[in-house]
Amino acid sequence: MTNTFAQIDHLACAGDSPWHRASALTKLLLLVTYVALAVVTPSWAVLAALLATLVAMCVSARAPLKLMLAAAATPFFFAFIFALAHVRTDWDEPLVLFARPMVASLCAVWLVITTPYPDLFAPISRILPRGVGDGLFLTYRAVATLYARVERMGSTLRLRGAMARPVGQRFALLGEAVGTVVVSGFDRSHRLYQTMQLRGHSGRICGCRHYLELTRDDFWVCLAMAWAGVVSVALWHLRIS
Amino acid sequence: MSHLHIPDGILPPVLWLAGLVLTALVLAWSVPASARGGPRLIAYQSALGGIMLAVMALPVPITAFDYCMTLAGPVGVLLGAAPVFQVSLVVTLILALLGQGGFTVIGLNTLVLGGGAMLARPVYLWSVRALGPARAVALATVVSQLASTAGWILVLLLSVRLTPDIAGEHAIAGDLVRGVHAAGAAVVLAMLLAAVAIEALLGYGLARFLARVRPDLLPLPHASRAAASGGPPLSEPRPSGR
Repeated sequence: MTNTFAQIDHLACAGDSPWHRASALTKLLLLVTYVALAVVTPSWAVLAALLATLVAMCVSARAPLKLMLAAAATPFFFAFIFALAHVRTDWDEPLVLFARPMVASLCAVWLVITTPYPDLFAPISRILPRGVGDGLFLTYRAVATLYARVERMGSTLRLRGAMARPVGQRFALLGEAVGTVVVSGFDRSHRLYQTMQLRGHSGRICGCRHYLELTRDDFWVCLAMAWAGVVSVALWHLRIS
Repeated sequence: MSHLHIPDGILPPVLWLAGLVLTALVLAWSVPASARGGPRLIAYQSALGGIMLAVMALPVPITAFDYCMTLAGPVGVLLGAAPVFQVSLVVTLILALLGQGGFTVIGLNTLVLGGGAMLARPVYLWSVRALGPARAVALATVVSQLASTAGWILVLLLSVRLTPDIAGEHAIAGDLVRGVHAAGAAVVLAMLLAAVAIEALLGYGLARFLARVRPDLLPLPHASRAAASGGPPLSEPRPSGR
């Protein structure tokens, strides 16, 4: 995940594809549609069609190949364990077990690289308790700052030979180094709290409704959802047996 | 093994649906339980949640492998049960949006990560007088990690049990379990013990540093809090005495 957050933020804010111009709400609905279809369908053909569609969507959104491959490969290990349990004389279930998580992961990547996080988190925070919704925004912001500090901490430890110590000492030292980040995080949270007070925090961050502002480019998102429905109906019966 | 990263489409629906319902119930409990903290607690939760995410991205080399820390135990000690569960949900949600773990299993992932972390502070408060802050945090981390791992194993066993189309009903499940025992149990157990030890050492070092530099961030046992006049609630860091 090295620098992933910064890369995703940049892609989401600087992109100018039709996906970037579509509203956050329709894109979230697309995510729900594709994940629901992936989880429910028993057909490898439907999953293959959804995968191909998502690859095309990610490519048209100019997603980096590395990010797409990481998203596709991340669920591999756990899917492999379950695929082993499902091996019989046909290939249906192992294929399905590998393809389902890939559809969900690629859809998630497409969503986060085409949607700035305030627009993405605003509708999500409305179904969460207020404090948790606020925490979602603030935690994401905190990651970017603290990750840089954690990286510097890691470099410092390596340069000063902490990682060359015996294993028992290595992790205790690493814990002490993380302690410096915790103290910095606490001080940061204190300043953040004061900022929230000064800016009149009333119990919910980002009451804006940009995520609801529909545009012409929502047509393409709706088209992708409709396409998913059509291929699901047309190919549902296709299996290898 | 305090975070699952189970992807979508693997577990039977009854399992992840139950996970979502249970998570919603625990979340509903946690809201009034942590409401007293106000915006200051939200800011502190977000800082620690950010540290958890940042630290998860930092691989630590152990011989040929890399280990990714979670800090679930120490964060559980610092925040307490209700706030740390909320942080676990936020962390799990952000990880799901990055493709690390599925959306349907957000509930289960949160329960495994947060369930273990929620045990950390009670264990710490119970043991800090006898062991001191550093060892108490290490013990709390061990308990937290073991609880999370037990949750992880329970989810795996339930999913094998509840998946109806594994050939031969539970015959394959039995074969799978025996196969894992024969081929991988020793390896898995060694990895588990190593992970628990690593997290405990991390927690030990972290608490040792905080006890020296910022002891006000570590929670006080109830008796000490009663003796200290005007001490703030345990759910919030105490004001620095500097």
